[in-house]
Amino acid sequence: MSKKSRSKLWFLVHSWLALPIWFFVLIVCVTGTLAVVSQEIVWLANPDIRASKPSDDAQPLSFDQVIAAIKRDEPQVIVRSIIRPDESHFALMVGLSYPDGRSVDAYANPYTGALQGISPAFDFQQFTRALHGWWLVPFTNGYSWGWYLVSLLGLPLLASLVTGLVVYKRFWKGFLRPTLRIRHGARIFWGDFHRLSGIWSIWFIAVISITGTWFLIQAILGDNQISISSEPIVPVIAREKVPLSAPGVPAPMIALDDAIKIATQRIPGLEATFAFLPLNAYSHLQIGGRGWYPLMFQTAQLNPYSGEIAVSHLLSDRTALEFVTESMRPLHTGDFGGLWIKLIWAFFGLVLSMMVLSGLLIWTKRTALATLNAFKREAKTQRQPVPTPALRAETSETH
Amino acid sequence: MIFKRLTAGCVLLLSTGFSQLALAHNPMCECKEIPGEQIQCKGGFSDGSGAPGVTLDVIGYDETILVPGKLGEDSTLTFKKPTAEFYVLFDAGPGHVVEIDQADIQAQ
Amino acid sequence: MSRVAAKPSSPLRAWWLKWRFHINILLLLVPLGFMPKYFADAALFRGDAGIGERVAGDIQVGPWSLTLAEFRNEGPRPDPAGPMKAFNAALCATCAEQVKATYLRIGKPRSLRAAGVIFFGTPYRMGAIVPVPERTPIDAELWVTMEGWDGTMHQGSIPLSQASPATIAWLNKQGVKP
Repeated sequence: MSKKSRSKLWFLVHSWLALPIWFFVLIVCVTGTLAVVSQEIVWLANPDIRASKPSDDAQPLSFDQVIAAIKRDEPQVIVRSIIRPDESHFALMVGLSYPDGRSVDAYANPYTGALQGISPAFDFQQFTRALHGWWLVPFTNGYSWGWYLVSLLGLPLLASLVTGLVVYKRFWKGFLRPTLRIRHGARIFWGDFHRLSGIWSIWFIAVISITGTWFLIQAILGDNQISISSEPIVPVIAREKVPLSAPGVPAPMIALDDAIKIATQRIPGLEATFAFLPLNAYSHLQIGGRGWYPLMFQTAQLNPYSGEIAVSHLLSDRTALEFVTESMRPLHTGDFGGLWIKLIWAFFGLVLSMMVLSGLLIWTKRTALATLNAFKREAKTQRQPVPTPALRAETSETH
Repeated sequence: MIFKRLTAGCVLLLSTGFSQLALAHNPMCECKEIPGEQIQCKGGFSDGSGAPGVTLDVIGYDETILVPGKLGEDSTLTFKKPTAEFYVLFDAGPGHVVEIDQADIQAQ
Repeated sequence: MSRVAAKPSSPLRAWWLKWRFHINILLLLVPLGFMPKYFADAALFRGDAGIGERVAGDIQVGPWSLTLAEFRNEGPRPDPAGPMKAFNAALCATCAEQVKATYLRIGKPRSLRAAGVIFFGTPYRMGAIVPVPERTPIDAELWVTMEGWDGTMHQGSIPLSQASPATIAWLNKQGVKP
């Protein structure tokens, strides 16, 4: 194959990787961009989720103090979990169980423990995550087919990146000599925009496509019951390790703050930014937080009666493979370094969405235009009238 | 904001607004009769994890423990088929058991 | 020089060339179509519509009782560990502190150790996932075992046909002799 036709082939592949489903790809990119900052959007719209300081020198309460404050407000409610978000401008997220059977997430002020509100029935964060991640297709037996559909896009995205860099001759020059011609018509502008945003997004597109493909692998592994986890499974506490007591008197559990102290003392490097209280009398108390590696969590499961640490899953416990696989999701969502990382991810998510859009605009203007010109030439050289199929405009595949 | 951690109970899914991901740790156990009047049992969890060290007891119908045991590193245990009527109990803790009656143990 | 594909080589190819971009519309219809189910599921998980899609009834278990409900009004779902049916329950208002743990099993349990699956959650809303072997007889009973803090055990049962008619229908469809 000649160099020219090889180049044409790469170009063909690049153009066709997204085109038949480009609108779907665009929506996936846009919903992903929204999902990155969905929590921030909720913060802007819903004051309940904000961690407003009652005074300048207010100190955040401990988890036990928060639970005590909640029980003062609502004595009947049971607290199932407390999560302290990474960013301090968010209120604590507490999982509550109400006597009427509702099991909801609520927001508690970290400085006063007051319940500021219950998460609305329409959870914007969950919705954008579900729409982007699995196209709203429900999970019935294993991973939903929507999950497969969306994660499969990781492969053409990666191929787009590779083929794009191949057809963009000497693309590195674009860094030193950025070109964005605004006054030469839409076709030129979008072409320049596509190339310029493309080279600056190389790292981001590589991260998103590879981590997106990981979600596909994760589903395949999960649906085939292949586990790569090194975490030991201790689903419940053994019967003999849970004390008996007098009838009608629950065996006393150690205070949550004490449990956190035990765990953080015995396990150096363990932070406690979330706690899941035991879900039945034989269930562990789970405490966790981040360690030195910002992308992953460390957890410890404790016997809530004795404080004994039954299971711990620290960074040092993970295999090298787990370091790679568990980093995939946070790298995809940008949810590991606070607000600034999210903003960077959201910005490049927007750029990627614009690249999908500009890619289509270039295609319609370049290919369709070329096709039209070719028709005009064909019609001129014909002696007899030739019936021209009305749908010819979409059939051209070369430039 | 962190991703909601799912504990080994899997039933947390029922109370939060999260999708039903296949992260459940439902116990599984299968036994079959192998040559030499022996029975081999293999245990595990529904997410593909093994169950090394988990208690596997062979219990008579009168509730006496005929063969106390623990699954090995490969999550299996082989024992001699008891003469009395029995059932096998995979016991990973309260509520995480699998009972296999002798009638359900087929020859390989 | 542009090379235009002159005539589509086959009717199928012509159809593909005409309609391929409409795949996008089809793909967009998917989340729109699933939106009602998404919101219904979200409400179900939150418990806004009660403890389950179908309340089966109250079961007396010794001095205590609970209200049992099917999480979803359907038969068991496939799982690597076998077909599984999800039930939710709420303990009686006065017995929440007295019950240490609650278990669920198809058929009368042989012992406390083999009492079935354990409920996870809070006394207001707890769930359990029960394995339903295909050869379960249709007149089977669903047994609830409650354990007290002093180790005492109480039991109660409800016919499976009352607890989950959908499961009975599923069993009939399986056609496996018990």
